[in-house]
Amino acid sequence: MLVEHIVVKEVTKRFPGTLALDKVSFTVYRGEIHALLGENGAGKSTLVKILYGIYTPDEGEVYINGKKLVITSPRDAVAHGIVLVSQTPTLINDLTIVENIILSLRHYNLFTRTRRVYSEVYSVLESLGLGIDPNTEVYKLTYTQKQMIEIARALLLKAKVLLLDEATSYLPLTEKKKLFDFLKKYVKKGNSVILITHKLPEALEISDRITVLRKGKVVGTVEKKKADITVIRRMMFGDTEFAPEAIKQRESIGNGVTLFIENLWVKGELGEYMVRNVTLSVRKGEILGIAGITGSGQIELFEAIMGLRKVERGIIKIDGVDTTNKDTGFIRSLGVGYIPDNPLEHGLSIDHTLAENIALCPKYSSFIIDWHAIRQDADRLVREYGIVTPSINTPIKLLSGGNLMKMLISRELEYATKLLVAYNPTRGLDEYTANKVRRNIKEKKAKEGLSVIFASEDLDEIFELSDTIAVMNSGRIVGVFDKYRATRDRVEELMVM
Amino acid sequence: MASISLVVVKRVKPLPSWVAPLLSFTLGIAVATVLLWIVTLGRTDPIVVLASIGRALAMPQLLLKNFALLTIVGIGLLVSFKASVFNIGGEGQFYFAIIAATWIALFSGVGAIAIINKVLMLVVGVLLAGFWALIAALPRGFLGIDEVPVTLLMNYIAYYIVDYLVFNPWREPKYKYPRTPTIPEESWFIRIPGTTGTIELILLTVVVMAGIWYLMNNTRLGLAINVMGSNPNVLRVVGINPSLIVVSSLVISGMIVGIAGVSYLAGEAHLITIPAEACTPMLGYTGILVAWLSMLRIAYVPVAAYIVSALINAGINIQIAGAGKASVVDVFIGTILLIYSISVIFTEYSVKIIVKR
Repeated sequence: MLVEHIVVKEVTKRFPGTLALDKVSFTVYRGEIHALLGENGAGKSTLVKILYGIYTPDEGEVYINGKKLVITSPRDAVAHGIVLVSQTPTLINDLTIVENIILSLRHYNLFTRTRRVYSEVYSVLESLGLGIDPNTEVYKLTYTQKQMIEIARALLLKAKVLLLDEATSYLPLTEKKKLFDFLKKYVKKGNSVILITHKLPEALEISDRITVLRKGKVVGTVEKKKADITVIRRMMFGDTEFAPEAIKQRESIGNGVTLFIENLWVKGELGEYMVRNVTLSVRKGEILGIAGITGSGQIELFEAIMGLRKVERGIIKIDGVDTTNKDTGFIRSLGVGYIPDNPLEHGLSIDHTLAENIALCPKYSSFIIDWHAIRQDADRLVREYGIVTPSINTPIKLLSGGNLMKMLISRELEYATKLLVAYNPTRGLDEYTANKVRRNIKEKKAKEGLSVIFASEDLDEIFELSDTIAVMNSGRIVGVFDKYRATRDRVEELMVM
Repeated sequence: MASISLVVVKRVKPLPSWVAPLLSFTLGIAVATVLLWIVTLGRTDPIVVLASIGRALAMPQLLLKNFALLTIVGIGLLVSFKASVFNIGGEGQFYFAIIAATWIALFSGVGAIAIINKVLMLVVGVLLAGFWALIAALPRGFLGIDEVPVTLLMNYIAYYIVDYLVFNPWREPKYKYPRTPTIPEESWFIRIPGTTGTIELILLTVVVMAGIWYLMNNTRLGLAINVMGSNPNVLRVVGINPSLIVVSSLVISGMIVGIAGVSYLAGEAHLITIPAEACTPMLGYTGILVAWLSMLRIAYVPVAAYIVSALINAGINIQIAGAGKASVVDVFIGTILLIYSISVIFTEYSVKIIVKR
């Protein structure tokens, strides 16, 4: 007999410029594991953040056990038994596990004896299959262990509804299996789990029902028995047709190899290999698009190319020059432009003006800055790319996100003479500007023989811009296709395999 | 049950940047005056103290020396602060410049040769001060070792090196006082009559201000130092090595402070007296206050330096008036810096008291 545990009714959430959730309704029954699937930006995280009280909905209602609730803070959520675990652990490194847990649990107070907490923590860790002494300092733990501690903390908070936002994404297979076994037992006691994941097979394996979101709307909810990987993939990505490219791009591809990567291994932030044995090459005037879900190793691959992340094994050559583990300044001086994954953190200094951000790049100025020349360059970029700014001497933190992106793209595209390395090059741009940027990239490739390697979560963009499509999954290149031979189905299948 | 909670809220628009320095000066002087009055059980007359400060402010000719030296040190420290590198080692760099200049003046054989002796004192002094800063800069830049304790403790190493040199090889031979012989008069800076300043010092102050202004506004190094302070990631991505920027900012900072050291020796002290840790004019520390109060803007450094040097002179006035020792100004300087550090937070944040029932 199915009892409604959480009911979300017609929830709408707007952010400046976007409609994150558009009248979303879905139901979680008591004792079920409910998977939320969808492309990036589909609204999954927004939805669980609303349930956890981080955001409040603009419209719509949330019911728990049939009672209407207004959740305004995580504290409220916890009081109603809802706990969120995300993909980044939030533990304090210098403290022990027990100390961390005492800090976050409200039913412990200043006078609680650590020994009592110790035994409670110990038994929860035990039930998760973790043989760690709760008095261990957190910095000694691996990422996986930290993540399990986060889940243990949620259980100690007496979670009745566990929200896992990509919490399992980076867990190794064996740990994941253990956790899934635990979750199955956990829901049998009348609790529920909402699981967000990118991995389709994972969702199909563990969940009882799957709800798919696309562009802020619920596409549908399917029972696992009736679900099938192709049906769900279609629900996630839609059957958007991509228009065949009018310009014959192929003709511009030369014979020389601009970027050559062989057997590359690169570690990620957490010390795990994020790029595994990647071999790729980009010819002169070729655009290589890397399709893959977020976190498949694209960022680490690009940072390694740019000399920003250490190459553990393998070789990178740019135009025949070995650039493996070379200084970024040197790699840049070969004529390599770069659009990083987090433009505001890594691409631009938002406290400084547009002119200053341009002058910072070695190509635009020598040691002594010729402000006159910089101003001319800046004015030209503003004109050509339609950057909306009060003046080139305004701190760019006052610019909108789209204009910041335009500024970064214009600077880097001008900078690149041989190779452009770009992560999500049109993120945050409106349709018109995005098209213009793609056209600029293609023009530069056709006229000047620029080679491009880019990654995008948007398959339409991958198909529109690339000559060659490589699919990256869990750090490996799992398929390389000529654009005209690639099919969307096959690429999607490899992405979520 | 009612519960009261304090909530810190970020201001939509930060307060104007001059609010914090102005508030800290007025409030700092007021608080310190009251504080002195209380701890001395009413023996320091607040009126005498305030009058001393007022008189000091109105006599620029008497504070010219400290004003110029503090401007140079303040500008020097500002270069490192801009990069979020906190050079607390001004004292050590100051004394290393003095060691070099003293050697040139007394023992190199050029001390009595006009024109080149002053230039050599400056050049070698600046280089040695820069070297002293480099020792802290390399581990900070390449290993990320916190520069604050390193530069701070290196001040004491510098003091003790000075003490050793002056107590042993450089000791004045005639009466064996714990000090060096006086440097030859040819190497003295030329006093401006009726003031405490020297011609060379004023020139150097102008050159330092103009030079650092140019560096910070018209060179890629200056821009990179600025960007280093707000977002070092960007430097890496555009291909500038942040480690080198950190090292450069700290070394330049030390070199500029070194100019003040040489000027102090050639314009004022003319010899080194030990123990250095007790005889120091403390400009390396006071300069930190000047740099902070200027809100890290080059044009405001002289303003802050003027007020702080007036406070130093006020201390002398207070001593003459018999209301306390000259070192009471340390209370003023400390209180001002403390209030500034606190109030600067509230230009960006406000505190709200919320009573829940």
